[in-house]
Amino acid sequence: MQGVIPSHVVTCSHDGTPNASAISQVYYVDPDHVALSHQFFNKTKRNIEENPRAVVWVVNPETFESWDLELEFVRSETSGSVFEVMEMQIEAIASMVGMKGIFKLRAADIFRVISAAKAVGERIPPAEIPAPR
Amino acid sequence: MIPDRVVEVLHGPSYIQLGSRDDALRPAHTMAVGALVHDDRRTVTVFVPAARSERVLRDLAGNGRVAVGVALASHEAYQLKGTYVSSRPTDDADRVRQEAYRAALLQSALEAGYPDALARPFCLGFAYTPGVAITFRAEEVFLQTPGPGAGSLLA
Repeated sequence: MQGVIPSHVVTCSHDGTPNASAISQVYYVDPDHVALSHQFFNKTKRNIEENPRAVVWVVNPETFESWDLELEFVRSETSGSVFEVMEMQIEAIASMVGMKGIFKLRAADIFRVISAAKAVGERIPPAEIPAPR
Repeated sequence: MIPDRVVEVLHGPSYIQLGSRDDALRPAHTMAVGALVHDDRRTVTVFVPAARSERVLRDLAGNGRVAVGVALASHEAYQLKGTYVSSRPTDDADRVRQEAYRAALLQSALEAGYPDALARPFCLGFAYTPGVAITFRAEEVFLQTPGPGAGSLLA
């Protein structure tokens, strides 16, 4: 959860339509909570207001293992330490990826972590990947 | 009908994710390793690792609702929403397509400026065999590139 590799989030509307989207930042809050960056008034935001469940896919940029975090929306924060740190990190990510002025943190959406499971079978270990020729 | 540009992005190299949900509206996710848009321009097959397919196939068999997000390293992104049609184990032709997809994905990441030490293990690290080909009918296509038009319906 260091923002090096974009994460993905899937939510579901009240009428049962899933929504799959990339997300700039998944921020570790404490052992039971993470915060997702809310940058746009989009379907992900509307869905979690209707149905608080979400699943987030994150990749460890050192081991390249992927994980699924099953989440439940708790609240949005627009001030405070979590928001301020995420705001700084979003600005840094925006500069790196050419999205300055487009990526802007509106809120830090706090989620309770229901489960964290390694995405077994999804990744090939780096040691098994051929080196460049 | 899926717009020309979205067909190009689906054929890659692009990052593809599939979302589903169960009867309790709990979402599920898996990455896909390649996609194929069929001649009717409405039917799409995505290839997912078999090890990650069990939950999404159970969801799709139960309610049929599927969302597929597709994005380039440039952040150009789209989302297709539709209805599950069928699934089958991937075959030799699929694997040839997937191997080309993985090589192109790595090349695109390197061209975008990502260092080899990051791009190679990430792009070539998507497990693709054994795989499952999941076919769905796209009913809506949305623009998802970050910016003012994000979320707009394209088709």
